[in-house]
Amino acid sequence: MFAYIVRRLAYGAVTVLGVLLLLFVLFFAIADPDDIARQAIGERASAEVYEQWKVNHGYDKPLVINAEHGVLEPGRYTDTLLFEHYRSMLTFDFGRSDADDVPIAERLRQGALPSLSLTLPLFALSLVVGVFFALLVAFFRDTYVDFAVLVMCMLAMSVASLIYIIAGQYLIGLTLKWFPISGFDADPALVIRFLALPIIIGVIASFGGDVRLYRTVFIEETNKDYVRTARAKGCGDARVMVRHVLRNALIPILTSVVLAIPFLFVGSLLFENFFGIPGLGAITVEAINGNDFSTLRTMVYISALLFIVAQILTDISYTLADPRVRLS
Amino acid sequence: MVWLPNMIVVALLAGAFILFRTVRRNRFWTESIARLWRRRRFSLIIIGLYLAVALLDTISWVGGSASENASDVVAAHKPRSVIDRIFQPDSFMEISYSEPFADVGFYGEQPLAHPGKHILGTDILGQDVFYRSLKGVKIALLIGGLTTLIVIPIALIFGLAAGYFGGRVDDVVFFVMSTLASIPNLLLLIALIIVLGTGPVQVCVALGVTGWVGFCRLTRGETLKLREADYVQAAKALGASHLRIITRHIIPNLAHLIVITFALQFTGLVLAETVLAYLGIGLDGSWGQMIDQARNELSRSPVIWWNLAGATVLLFTLVLCVNLCADALRDILDPRTRKEAQ
Amino acid sequence: MNATRRWCGLLATSVACLLVAACSNNPYPSEEQNEKIQYAAFSEAPRTLDPATAYTTSAHVITANVYDTLLEYHYLNRPYELIPGLAEALPEVEQLLDGRTVFTFRLRDGIMFQRDASFSLNDNDTDSRKVTAHDFAFQFARLADPAVNSPVFENFASITGFRAFRDLISERRQADEAFAALRIDQQYEALGGVPGIIVLNELELEIVLDQQDLQMLYWFAIPFTTPVPWEAVVYWDGEEGRERFADHPVGTGPYTLSVYDKQFRYVLERNPMWYGAMYPEWQAPGAVFPTDITQEDVEARRVNPEYAGRALPFLDRIEYRRERESIPHFNKLLQGYYDSGGVINESFDAVIDGDRLSPAMVEMGMALDQVVSPSVFYIGFNMDDPTIGRTAGEPGRLLRQAMSLVVDVEQYLEIFSNGRGVPAQSPIPPGLFGYDDAYSNTFRQVDIDRAKDLMVQAGFPGGTDPATNEPLKLTFDTGNTTAQAQLRYKYFVTAWRRLGIDVEIAATTYNKFQEKVRTGAYQIFQWGWVADYPDPENFLFLLESGSARSATGGPNTANFSNPDYDALFAQMSDRPSDDERLRLINEMIALLERERPWIELYHLEDYILRHEWVLNAKPMGLSYPVYKYRDIDAELRSESRETWNQPVRWPLYAIILLMVAATVPAIRTLYRERQ
Repeated sequence: MFAYIVRRLAYGAVTVLGVLLLLFVLFFAIADPDDIARQAIGERASAEVYEQWKVNHGYDKPLVINAEHGVLEPGRYTDTLLFEHYRSMLTFDFGRSDADDVPIAERLRQGALPSLSLTLPLFALSLVVGVFFALLVAFFRDTYVDFAVLVMCMLAMSVASLIYIIAGQYLIGLTLKWFPISGFDADPALVIRFLALPIIIGVIASFGGDVRLYRTVFIEETNKDYVRTARAKGCGDARVMVRHVLRNALIPILTSVVLAIPFLFVGSLLFENFFGIPGLGAITVEAINGNDFSTLRTMVYISALLFIVAQILTDISYTLADPRVRLS
Repeated sequence: MVWLPNMIVVALLAGAFILFRTVRRNRFWTESIARLWRRRRFSLIIIGLYLAVALLDTISWVGGSASENASDVVAAHKPRSVIDRIFQPDSFMEISYSEPFADVGFYGEQPLAHPGKHILGTDILGQDVFYRSLKGVKIALLIGGLTTLIVIPIALIFGLAAGYFGGRVDDVVFFVMSTLASIPNLLLLIALIIVLGTGPVQVCVALGVTGWVGFCRLTRGETLKLREADYVQAAKALGASHLRIITRHIIPNLAHLIVITFALQFTGLVLAETVLAYLGIGLDGSWGQMIDQARNELSRSPVIWWNLAGATVLLFTLVLCVNLCADALRDILDPRTRKEAQ
Repeated sequence: MNATRRWCGLLATSVACLLVAACSNNPYPSEEQNEKIQYAAFSEAPRTLDPATAYTTSAHVITANVYDTLLEYHYLNRPYELIPGLAEALPEVEQLLDGRTVFTFRLRDGIMFQRDASFSLNDNDTDSRKVTAHDFAFQFARLADPAVNSPVFENFASITGFRAFRDLISERRQADEAFAALRIDQQYEALGGVPGIIVLNELELEIVLDQQDLQMLYWFAIPFTTPVPWEAVVYWDGEEGRERFADHPVGTGPYTLSVYDKQFRYVLERNPMWYGAMYPEWQAPGAVFPTDITQEDVEARRVNPEYAGRALPFLDRIEYRRERESIPHFNKLLQGYYDSGGVINESFDAVIDGDRLSPAMVEMGMALDQVVSPSVFYIGFNMDDPTIGRTAGEPGRLLRQAMSLVVDVEQYLEIFSNGRGVPAQSPIPPGLFGYDDAYSNTFRQVDIDRAKDLMVQAGFPGGTDPATNEPLKLTFDTGNTTAQAQLRYKYFVTAWRRLGIDVEIAATTYNKFQEKVRTGAYQIFQWGWVADYPDPENFLFLLESGSARSATGGPNTANFSNPDYDALFAQMSDRPSDDERLRLINEMIALLERERPWIELYHLEDYILRHEWVLNAKPMGLSYPVYKYRDIDAELRSESRETWNQPVRWPLYAIILLMVAATVPAIRTLYRERQ
């Protein structure tokens, strides 16, 4: 057991190193530091200003090998961008934004709460709604309800999410005036007003895919032997559905869903941007538009890190719950 | 570069013919396709229409315009596709917006150059919206198709190698997969496009890099199972080479997975492009770009809806038909439901 | 069974709670509805608020209110007129015999900086300090400092010893590490500051220019020349959790920046240390509402005459919220949640009816201001290019003339901005000296036949390039890849196609485009310029060879270099605006008409909508938003918001009804089963 956990942790660590290598190739080897500097401070500065900027933002070293140091000196490998990249990311010392010099750590701290306050309720609500309708459909399978909901799902799935947002904002926000069209506030009493509209639209947008997915799981579960046994024992249909099928099907649903949780921190690029929510998603979009590479790579790294941690935790709790997994 | 798209058309047609021949010889596939045709006739016909439009939009050659109009002369020196030749977009245009089938301009009521001929009206620059929407077909199929053509071979090779040989190969492939899988898809996609630059090939490569992992994992898992199957073991005992086992015994049993993944991946990719277009890193002339351009037009009064409608309806129909077919295919091909049906 | 019911209950109640709790579209806390707060929006936070580098309108909305200047613009008078701000009076101007000019400013005595933690560097107990002439000298040294990298360095280069100071400081820093480690103000002091900025005493400042430069006065009304306390620059260094000075302005203005969250909100609040608030008895021109109010402004509801002579400011707070998208911003303006804002293209027809406001807007009490801002947008040719540039000689000029003849800017404006904007005939916008309403540029009238003739004369009959026997190929380079921008570029391309020219749009990333500009690998581009100060010199210098992009990295991106033009420019630039100057300007414009380094497109025209409750909001036109003169009728605003924003509730009931109806069969089945 202990050995397994150690092995799993070690593998997670190796994956983190792999992610960092990929980021290094993308953001240091392919992108040119001179371009980044020029973008940040404009075209008309003196060479010293560019050099100073590159020093301040850690773009001033050679990529992998520093030829200024001798072959045997450690500086040959440590005084390089590659080493610096690994060191700063692994110690969470993200430095400053390429675009406006704000410490990236501070920006992450500011953006995490708005992102979570949008994505967590959205996530929970769409899960509940999805499971509820899937259960309903599975219960009434092969009837008009099943057919109607499935057709709706198929139609809903084929619409681009952009269209949902555009239409929802126009209809609910502008025409019906139920909620503010966009915006955010740190005050919790007010924030619910701002979040209601994106959450409603988000639930509708994810409805089709979710219901279909969960329905498959439920139907698979109803075809299992224990369900037949329960029915044979004379349990009512509805009772079987809730007592047995729902309970057992929730395990695969939840495990697939748990892995999505780390992505909630990153927020939703589209929703945050359209509804003016100052979360990490909006920050990412801004980083894309402003070619702010340091912020972008930190965002990618953080989300990957969270995912890896969540994966390890799921795996370990699995092992604790089910000894058979350990053997394989 | 005129020959390149035409060569691609030839290659695609040749590929389709070979596929057709192979399928014809196989009873399982002919039956499956027949069942699909029975269940999803309408969707298949529509997908066929989309394919035809894309093909017509790809076959192109230079010259052939006798018009004295200077704009047409410029156009005549560039390769134009069959669709371009039908619509003549350089002269078949107005000054600005006009409603579908309108005789006068939307603003100012000045008479149109081609009254009543714009089925879906014209956009802000007076370009025919129907023409622009049709041009989007090729791009959508390119995004879906080219990416899948990148994804499937890579995923198949790595998945098969990892599953079949195991050991070090498996370790390496699994490591690469878990590294890529731990980065949120959209973020990785954006990072790749920002660094690689925008353009059809770059976008497809980026989509491919992010897209192959899921399929590779699936292939690896199935191969692991198939490797232990009795008939594979038997073939091994008889001294069959690895290559022979893989091509004769494993790939045919993965074929249904490939087909289903292709269909599901396709819709995901086409929809993902709209998000990229919104972020300003999509493809030129795609439906995503049209939607992005048109979204603000909804607030004009009177509303200008035809631009958004053209792209949305074509996108929606394509995705819906492919979704429907994928659904039916899964029922038909999936061994579990197959058993149940029998 | 119970579980299902519980689930249903949970779902229904949570959704219902959410809807009921949230069912209001007011984005602000209701308790602030009767306060004198102005609500405005920003789309992107400025990169810097440092008055030495902030050069965008988005920064000026903050810096112009936080930082006071020696001189200011009169709020109401047009053409623009300077009045004293921090200075007691307009400066004495002295022309020396050797050609130098000396300005002498006298500061008001007793002006304080806003309260700020940085002043604890002097003494732990203080949180403010008196402004002295040294604070101005410090800022001028910063403008020259290469490490600060001010974008307007060149504009101050006529100050005696300005360039030399820059070179000296950069030399000393490299040579002497001990010097480089000194505190920034001590570095400047050690070098004696900029030689041309002379502090006579605490309250008197002398500025010596090497040449006659009358435009320099305008720069004293722009936050670049505000007094800056060295304490703030030293203290707010971005280390150990302290903000950077660029995000933490410390000034003397009527407002202070109390909240600055770039992601969604900033707040300006009344500054109790402002000289107007501390010394109302001064009746300083910058601290009372002007009394010379014109009837025209009163009739247009731009100014309320009751305010004449009252002490400024009126607003307690200015709330800025971030709006990333223009449409939500505009819709909130219509709902009354923003006080004023521009009219977006998409909603133009709903708001404007012909030339005035639509009846619906009039009924809402909206007012409309149309302002042509001193700006020019143009298509430029890279004159270094062998095909269309200088070296192409006469054919190149004919080609440029032909291309200029087919760009129909009126139609362009009609399509893309509902006809807003003044078609440009020359670089000089209306309202400036040298603008002639009657002047019409012969190459800015659409004439396709003449353009075709010119193409033949240029050696490209029908657009065909004799060298390749194909249509002439040119590229239009841009760093803007957005779909909206592509449409605009496509308009020009389509126009040139009518001449048989095949112009390709090369849209690359901003970086790639800048690289092309740097290396000169571009042919045609589109650019715009908004004036720093209202003088024709600020436009005509854009084509002077001294600011050519290829040679000096200056803003003359067309790389236009013409000795005649340069000579005229030199004569014109530092003359007072007399007849001779007008003659010189006309000569320059005639030269540009012939040479066509630009295709002048239009001068920007803003339509600003303003609610009835916004008082004294006369638009400035210049990038210079001053809030101290404005006021808000908060009661009228909250009433109007109330009536305009009644939610439409029936669809909610309909949906609930529908859901109930849909679940009835399900419940029936369950019920039957239980029986």
